[in-house]
Amino acid sequence: MNRLGSFLINLAFYLENSSRYKKTKEFFYNLLENEHYKYKKYFDYVMIIIIISSITIIIEEVNHPLYYWLNVYDIYIVTTIFIVEYILRLWVSDDRRRIIIEEFENSVFLETRFNTKKVLKRIWISIKDYILSPFSIIDLLAILPAYREIRILRIFVLFRAFKIFRYSKNTVQFLEVITSKRTELTILFLLVLFIVFISGVSLYVFEAKTNPNVHSLLDSFYWAFVTISTVGYGDITPKSTEARVFTIAIILSGLGLISFFTSIIVSSFTEKIDEIKEAKVLTKVDRLSYYYLICGYSHLAELLAQKLKNEKKNFLILETDPKKLEQAQKRGYLCIKEDASKKEVLEKIQLKDKVKAAICLAQNDIHNIFIALNIRSVSKSVPIISRTFSKNSYKKLELAGVDYIVSPYQTAGLIASKIITQPIAVEAISDILSKKKNAVCDEVEVLRNSFLENKTIEDIELNKYKLILLGVRRIDEKGKKFYFNPKDNFILKAGDLLIIMGYSISVSHFKSLVIESSLRYARFRK
Amino acid sequence: MHDLENNILLIGYGRYGEKIAKFFEKKDIYIIEISQKNLQRARQDGFEKLFLIELEDDEALNHILSQKNFSHIFCALDDEEENVFFTITIKSFDKKVKIVAICESKESERKLKLAGADKVIDTMEGSASKIFHLIEKPAVMEAIEEILFEDEDIDIREIEIPPNSFLEKKHIKDINLKKLYNLILIGLIDKERGDSFVFITKGINHKIDAGDILVIIGYKEDIKRFIKDLKESV
Repeated sequence: MNRLGSFLINLAFYLENSSRYKKTKEFFYNLLENEHYKYKKYFDYVMIIIIISSITIIIEEVNHPLYYWLNVYDIYIVTTIFIVEYILRLWVSDDRRRIIIEEFENSVFLETRFNTKKVLKRIWISIKDYILSPFSIIDLLAILPAYREIRILRIFVLFRAFKIFRYSKNTVQFLEVITSKRTELTILFLLVLFIVFISGVSLYVFEAKTNPNVHSLLDSFYWAFVTISTVGYGDITPKSTEARVFTIAIILSGLGLISFFTSIIVSSFTEKIDEIKEAKVLTKVDRLSYYYLICGYSHLAELLAQKLKNEKKNFLILETDPKKLEQAQKRGYLCIKEDASKKEVLEKIQLKDKVKAAICLAQNDIHNIFIALNIRSVSKSVPIISRTFSKNSYKKLELAGVDYIVSPYQTAGLIASKIITQPIAVEAISDILSKKKNAVCDEVEVLRNSFLENKTIEDIELNKYKLILLGVRRIDEKGKKFYFNPKDNFILKAGDLLIIMGYSISVSHFKSLVIESSLRYARFRK
Repeated sequence: MHDLENNILLIGYGRYGEKIAKFFEKKDIYIIEISQKNLQRARQDGFEKLFLIELEDDEALNHILSQKNFSHIFCALDDEEENVFFTITIKSFDKKVKIVAICESKESERKLKLAGADKVIDTMEGSASKIFHLIEKPAVMEAIEEILFEDEDIDIREIEIPPNSFLEKKHIKDINLKKLYNLILIGLIDKERGDSFVFITKGINHKIDAGDILVIIGYKEDIKRFIKDLKESV
């Protein structure tokens, strides 16, 4: 084992064991590459401002002499920032110490010599892979203009503009779309090269001696390209009959190439449109602090979504059938074409951190069970509600981790049993639940120090607020208990929930009074 | 009040029909089915008065209807269109018979009402409300379930005011049903103001007359006491 080898191994293990090193690296990784990191966007904004300022300086420089400090800023400060950023990105792009450790462990295991050369080669490949990636090239080119001696490098300032792409998710997607059609674009590029070559050479052969505008082979290549792109500046035009006949053919082939190019771009976008939409939805979901997850856009889901939307609650719909998905999209709901029974989907939508409750409304019990199982495998605590179709599925759904099972058939049976003898009462209740006549049932918490605390039911005179008290729900050591229609001398405690009924305006008025009184007390205490 | 003769005709013994049938006395129920399989299931579940008819066999249907005087008819097939079809067929025989129909969408509800159904149960709307309350207002949902279904002692009832009772000509705000009977008055149909149900929380000081219908929630004992007092005061 040579000295370099042992140095590398020591260094690698030192870094591997240093939590500070790892933390620092993670911080920079988050800042530079992690879309979900809170402060990444501020970093991006700062970089965009720097880039714009640099470009502005270049434009200003064309006609006016630069202030000294502006020049310093542009050459030294901006460039330094870019270089530091470049190095940091290179650093976080891969864990290279792992390569050394892996090789070392292999050599110990196989009882062979530690191969320093091989390790260095692998590290070099990892670095090279990063340097040759498109974004890294743009980053590098953006640093070059600092070297002012070569005039052409000045144009690379514009690469600083390209750098903006890095900080915008949409443009990153655009590039991804384009690169997905790499083969087609390569073919097109070769075709263009071929035609430019043939036609350029032809024009040179036909007219180099007779046409005063054609000085060199480069001129005729330039002409060929301007012609097939259908731009046709007209600074160079064919004069001889032969060349003109030939030009017609070039123009026709040019039209073909252009439409080929357009169709590649268009088709790649239509292929990727779902992904782009999904990415948009996911960004929105990312901004929500919590939301409800609806799996399957069935008729029931549609009704539920409407209710949630009316109450301005956030929800996300997962549906695999494109037709149904389109209906949901038309209504402007957040939805993505994904299967809720796949684990990576639930991770992508951050189920564990953000979903307040998941509702399984797929078209059959089998699928609902699947989804419930999958959700339970990702999160133990999120409440799951599922619809059921067959009475045989109750047990299975419960086993799969569903907390609450809703059966439209059961509901229908219950309502039907009451509707014969008590039609008006049933209608009243269903009006309350569906909010048809603006009358609602709601829960109001007895807040600490509000005017409700330690008062009797008689004292609070709910009928003054045009409200009816149905009952009080109290949680104590024994668990939850619902006190139906409590007596007038029932004393309310903080934390109790009043179940009240009334018009929505009375309910919200009463709620705000309760909150206000609680806050007023807090302020008064201060 | 309503139990004079309780012959119920249930059309359909699918997913809906079987659940509805459970809530009634087996002897009161007559079941019509168009599928042999479902009818077989009904037989296994212990129902005896079963009829198998063709969907468009009006004569057979009419024959069954004329045999008995059904107090209520449920159209509870799993297929919404068939429910509409049966509703309209039965209404074409007899306009007065009361039909309760099951549907799963607003669109079918409209059609069933046009076809003449007296009550339409939109099961999907109901389920959606239920899920919504479960996730947003769980305490409300628990309370309502407790009142309506779970606590056997609590009932929701509509009570027609008999003529010359002690409530007649009194104003709603002057009577305290909670103090007197421990009952919650939700709302009423005030015949002076039309046939529609008005929630008490609207704040109108209704004058009670004979024929008005009060909707109340309370313990069964208290309700009984109230009804008894009403009748005795006549």
